[in-house]
Amino acid sequence: MAKVLIVAEHRDGKLKKVSFELLGLAAQAGQEVHALLLGEGVAGLASELGHYGAGKVHVVESAALKFYSAEAYSKAVVQIAKNLGAEVILAGHTPTGREFMPLVAARLGVGLASDCTQISLAGGKIQARRPVYSGKATAEVEFLGGGAQLATVRANAIGIPKPDTSKKAEVVTASADLGALKTKVLEMVKGAMGRPDVTEASIVVSGGRAMKSAENFKIIEEMADSLGAAVGASRAAVDAGYRPHRDQVGQTGKTVSPALYIACGISGAIQHLAGMRTSKTIVAINTDPQAPIFQVADYGVVGDLFTLVPLLTQEFKKLKEH
Amino acid sequence: MPWQPILFILMAGGFFGYSGYRFALLYRLARSQKGKAPLRWDRIPERIGATIVNVLGQKAVMQKPLVGIMHAMIFWGFIVITTGTLEQFATTLFPSFELESIMGLGAYSSLVMVQDLFTAFVLLGVLFSFYRRIVLKPKHLGQSSDAFLVLTFTGGLMVSIFLMNAFHILGYQPIYTESMLMSKNVAAVLSSMNLSQETYVGLATLFKWIHMTLVMGFAAYIPTSKHLHIVAAGPNTFLKSLDRAKGMIPINFEDESVTQYGAAKITDLSWKDALDYFSCTECGRCQEVCPAWNTEKPLSPKKLILDLNHQLFDYKAAITAGKTDELPNLIDKNITNDVIWACTTCRACEIACPVFIGHTDKIYEARRNLVMMESSFPAEVQTVFKNMETNYTPWAFAASERANWSQGLDIKTMADQPAYDVLLWVGCAGSYDERNKKVMKAFVNILNKSGVKFAILGNEEQCTGDSARRIGNEYLFQTLAKANIETLNRYNVKNIVTACPHCFNTLKNEYKDFGGNYEVFHHSQFISKLIADGKVKPTQTLNAKVTYHDSCYLGRWNDVYTQPRSAIAAIPGVQMVEMKSHHDQSMCCGAGGGRMWMEEHLGRRVNVTRTEQALDTGASIIASACPFCMTMMSDGVKMKEKADKVQVLDIAELVSQSI
Amino acid sequence: MNIFVCIKQVPDTETKIKLAGDGIDTAGVKWIMSPYDEFAVEEALRLKEKNAGSTVTVLSAGPARVVETLRTALAMGADNGVHIELPENTDNNYAAKALAGALKKEAKIDIVFFGKEAIDDGAAQTAQLVSAYLDIPCVTVVLQAEYSTDKVKCKREVEGGAYEMVESPLPAVIAAQKGMNEPRYASLPNIMKAKKKEVKVLKEADVGTSASDHKIKFKNFQLPPPKQAGKKVDGDAAAQAHQLVQLLHTEAKVI
Repeated sequence: MAKVLIVAEHRDGKLKKVSFELLGLAAQAGQEVHALLLGEGVAGLASELGHYGAGKVHVVESAALKFYSAEAYSKAVVQIAKNLGAEVILAGHTPTGREFMPLVAARLGVGLASDCTQISLAGGKIQARRPVYSGKATAEVEFLGGGAQLATVRANAIGIPKPDTSKKAEVVTASADLGALKTKVLEMVKGAMGRPDVTEASIVVSGGRAMKSAENFKIIEEMADSLGAAVGASRAAVDAGYRPHRDQVGQTGKTVSPALYIACGISGAIQHLAGMRTSKTIVAINTDPQAPIFQVADYGVVGDLFTLVPLLTQEFKKLKEH
Repeated sequence: MPWQPILFILMAGGFFGYSGYRFALLYRLARSQKGKAPLRWDRIPERIGATIVNVLGQKAVMQKPLVGIMHAMIFWGFIVITTGTLEQFATTLFPSFELESIMGLGAYSSLVMVQDLFTAFVLLGVLFSFYRRIVLKPKHLGQSSDAFLVLTFTGGLMVSIFLMNAFHILGYQPIYTESMLMSKNVAAVLSSMNLSQETYVGLATLFKWIHMTLVMGFAAYIPTSKHLHIVAAGPNTFLKSLDRAKGMIPINFEDESVTQYGAAKITDLSWKDALDYFSCTECGRCQEVCPAWNTEKPLSPKKLILDLNHQLFDYKAAITAGKTDELPNLIDKNITNDVIWACTTCRACEIACPVFIGHTDKIYEARRNLVMMESSFPAEVQTVFKNMETNYTPWAFAASERANWSQGLDIKTMADQPAYDVLLWVGCAGSYDERNKKVMKAFVNILNKSGVKFAILGNEEQCTGDSARRIGNEYLFQTLAKANIETLNRYNVKNIVTACPHCFNTLKNEYKDFGGNYEVFHHSQFISKLIADGKVKPTQTLNAKVTYHDSCYLGRWNDVYTQPRSAIAAIPGVQMVEMKSHHDQSMCCGAGGGRMWMEEHLGRRVNVTRTEQALDTGASIIASACPFCMTMMSDGVKMKEKADKVQVLDIAELVSQSI
Repeated sequence: MNIFVCIKQVPDTETKIKLAGDGIDTAGVKWIMSPYDEFAVEEALRLKEKNAGSTVTVLSAGPARVVETLRTALAMGADNGVHIELPENTDNNYAAKALAGALKKEAKIDIVFFGKEAIDDGAAQTAQLVSAYLDIPCVTVVLQAEYSTDKVKCKREVEGGAYEMVESPLPAVIAAQKGMNEPRYASLPNIMKAKKKEVKVLKEADVGTSASDHKIKFKNFQLPPPKQAGKKVDGDAAAQAHQLVQLLHTEAKVI
C-alpha cells in the first residue's frame, strides 16, 4: 500500500466532484488514502471525503487559505506531503489543481503527469495516459527517477464512485507554515452568464439560419441548459440578428472543439466547418439531406429542428435523472 | 487700330500667364509623387488608335448614348470653333490678316458654315446640360457650382460668337453671309434695332473682344476646375491600360532602399494617379455603377478621386517644398478605412469612366500600406493570412488534405509524371469547400467524357494568393506565387485550366511578373470549346429558365462573356435570360477584393441586392462560373427564402448533368 | 522594464498526426508559435509600449528549428531573442530548468510571460515550474492584467465564467489565457528587421541542466480509433430523438 495524498478541492462550501473521483480511484486500488483539506472553516467537509474513500483527512485551516492561491496551496501541500511521506499526490486538473501542482512538483524535485484522462494506481504507482496534440493522440506517462509521483486528472475521466455513508475517516488537524505570502487574492467574481463560454464548454448547441428568429432560439437554449452546454450560432444567424457576435462559431467567429457539437438548422458552409470541425462528436439536424454538414457529422438527423429539438431536450432531461 | 494688338498682348500675357502658372503647379505636384507608375510607353500604335477612337471618336463617353451625343457635340464643336478663335487672335494681333483671302472664298464659306452650325450644336448641348443638371438631376452627377460656371462660360462664349457674327454681318455684309446659316438669322432679328453701320461694326468688335476675353478667362479658370479634363483626358487616354486584364504593380522586396510599401500619404501615389485626378470630369458614372455605393457603403469612386485631388491641393505648400514627412495620413475623415475596405475590386468604375481613371489602383496602394506597414485591417482577415502562411489556403484546413477531394476519382498528380494535355488547377475552394468539390467532380466528369487527359498538382498546389494580393498583403502573395511558379516550372507546365476566375486571372496575368508564363483557360472557355469541337455533346434536356451571373474577374477583368453563355445555351431545353445588369455592366456578387473573407457591417448586403436582380428574371436556375459567386448567390437565395424554388449551379454542373 | 517572454514552437493545429517511434512523424509538419504564446508576446509588447525604455526578450528552448519561431516574435516587435539549444523531446521540467537557467543570467527580470499551455502537450506546467526555479510568484490563466512598477493585478479565469482578482508583486510569471489581447500581425518592415536581428544561442552547459532534470517521458503513443462514417438516424421524430440520445450516451459516450 502506498501513501496516496489527494488534495481535495472545494468552492463555496461544497466539495468538487473530481475529488470524489480521485478518492474512489485510490480506495479501489487498495492504497492508503489521505485527503488534504485546505481553507478556512472547512473542517465540516471532512466527513464527506470519508464517504468516498478517504482513510484520513488532514485539515489545514488558516485565514491565508480562505481563498485559493497557488502560493499558499503549494506551500501547504509540500509540507504536508513531506511530513506524511506521500508517495503519490493527486489533484483534479481544474483551474486550481493545474496551477499549483507543478509548483509542488518543482519543490519536491519530481515529475507531474498533468491532465490525465486514464489513470490507475496498481501497485502504488501511477500508470497514466493523457491526450496530446489537442486530443489527436494519447500518450502514456513514464516517471523518471525516484521520489513521489504527481498527477492531475481531468474531471469526469474516472467517474464518481457510490458514496458509503457508513465509512468514517480519521480527521486530523494539521498545520503548515505558509510564511509571508507575496500574492493576494483581492476578490472572487461570479460568472455573468450561467452558461459556459462557447470556447471552453464541453458541449455546444448551435442554431443556424433556419431558426428564423431570435425568439426561436429559446428551444436551443433549453436544450443547452438540459445538457449544461453553451449556445453557439452560425454566421447567418448572427448576421440576421438572432444571436450576438460573441456566440458566432466559424472562421470569422470562435473556433470550438467540444466533446459534443449539435448543429441545428446549419447547412455546414465551409466557414462554419472551419470553426467546429475538430469537435469530437458532431450531430447535425437539418431538413436538407444534401446539406454539407452531413459530410462531417457523426450522427445525422434529417428532420425539422422545431420538432426534434424539444423532443431531444426531453430525452436529455430523462437521461440526467437516471 | 493700334491699341488692339497691344491690349491683346497685355491681356493674353496676364490670363495665359496665370494659366501657365497654375499648369506649372499641376506639373510640380505630379512630379512630387513618389509612387511607381505603371509603364505605359509600349505599343504606341495601339495607344494612338485608342486615343483617336476615344477622344476624337468619343467612344467611351458614348457608353451613355444620349449624354454621349450631347458631349460629342460640345467637344467637336469646340475643336471647330477653336479655328475661329485662332482667327480672331490673328486678326487682333495682325489687323491686316484675312483668312478669307488665304483660303479662298469657297473654302472659307464652308469653314464658317461648319463653325456656325457647331456653335449652334454647342449651345444646344449646353442648354441640354443645364436641363439635365437643373431638372433631371441624376444623383450620380451631384451638385456642382464648378459645372454651372463652366456651362455659363461655354454658353456665354457661344452667345458672344453669334452676336459677334450677327453684328459683323450687319456691319460688313460679307459675301459669305449666306453660309452662316444660324448667324444670318440672328442678324435678321437684330436688324430691327436699326442702328448705324458704324455702330454695328463697333458692336461686332465689342463682342469679338468679349469672346476673346471669355476664352482667355476660361483658360485661366481651367486648371482649377474640373474642366481641366480637356487638357488631361487626352494624355490619360493615351496612357490607359490597353488590355482589360490589368495586374497590380509588383513590389520588389529585395530592394532595400524601399522603406515605404503602399501609400501612407498622398505623395506615395504616382504621377499617373495625379493625372487621373486631373482628368476626372466628375461625371459620376463610376459612382452610379459601384456596388458598394449602391448598397450604402461610404465608398464612392468619384468622391475618392476628388478627395485624393483635394489632398494634393490642400497640402500643396508642403508637397512642393518637399516636406512630405509633414503631410498627414492618406486616411482621413473623408477617405476613411471603411471607404478603402468597401471596395470589391469589381472595376465597374474603371469600365464606366470616360477618361480611363484607374480607381482601384489607389485603393490597392492604400491597402498595401494599411496591411504591410500598419498591420491595420479587419480583424477577421488575420486568420486568413495565418492560414495562407501555414497551410497555403485561406480556410483553416491542412495542406496535407488538399487532394482529398479527388480520392476515388482516379486522378493523377504531376508527381506521378503522367501523360497529360492540361493541368487542372483545383484552387482552394475546389479542394476544401464541400459545395465546390461537387463542381470539381462535375468538371472532372466532363473532362473524362471528352477524352482530355489532365493531372493535378495535388498537395503541391498552394493558394494562388489572389485574396492576399487584393487585400494588400503583397509579401504573402509573392511568397505563395513564387512557390507555385517554382512547382509549375519544375514540372514544365504549359497549359492550365481552372474553375475559379480568381485563380484564372492571377495565373494568367499576374504570375508572369515572377517568371510564370502559362496558357491559362477558365473552365467555361474550355467547356465551350469542347462542345464546339464535338468532344462532348449535351443531350439531356433541361427545361429551365437560366440566368447567368457574370463573374467580375472573368468578365470585366478578362473580357470573357460569350463562352460561359454558349456553354449553357448548348444544353437542350435551356431558356437563357439576362439580368438587368449583365456583361460589362454586371453587378458584382460582393466577394471580390478579399471581401469574401470580411464581415459586411454597413448598408445593405451586396449579394442580396444582386440576388434580387437574379430573382427578378424569373429564372429557376442561377448559373455561376466562380466559387465565390456561387457562395454569395446561394447565400442570397437562402436569405430571400427562395432556396426551394431557385437553384444556384455552376456551368460545369449544368453541362455535366446533360452529357 | 525588463520584460521576458518564453515561447514554444509546436506543430500547426491543422497537422495530421502520424505516429513514428516514440512520438510523431515530424516530416512535413508545419511549425508555428503555440497560439497561447502569441497572447504572451503581444502583452509583453504592449507593456513595453507603455513604459519607455523597456525591452522585450523572447526565449525558446528546443532544437535548431525553434529559431524560426523566435524570429516570428522578433517580427512582432520583440527586441532580443535567446535560443537555448536542447535536443528533441525534452520534458517540461528539463525545458523549465533550461529557461530558468537562461533567465538567471539576465541582469534584471521585471516580468516573465508565458502562454497558459502549449498546444502540443497541453501540460500547462512550464510557466509554474520556471516560477518555482526563479523563486518568484506566478499567476496563470490570466485574462487581463494591470501593471505598475512593482505590482501586477490579474484577472484570473476559473470555471463557469467566474474569475479571481489576484495581486502579485513583481517580478512575477504571468501565463496568458486566450482573449487577453489581440495579437498583432507583424508589419513588413518588422519582418525584414527581424531577419537580421541577432539571436543569442545558449547550450545546455550554459544554463546548468543535467540528465536528472528529466522527470517524465511520454511513450506508447496511440491514435484514437478512426472516425466512422456518419450514421443517419432514421424514423419519425420521436424515434429519432430517442435513438440519438441513446447513441450519444452508450456509443459516443459524450453525455
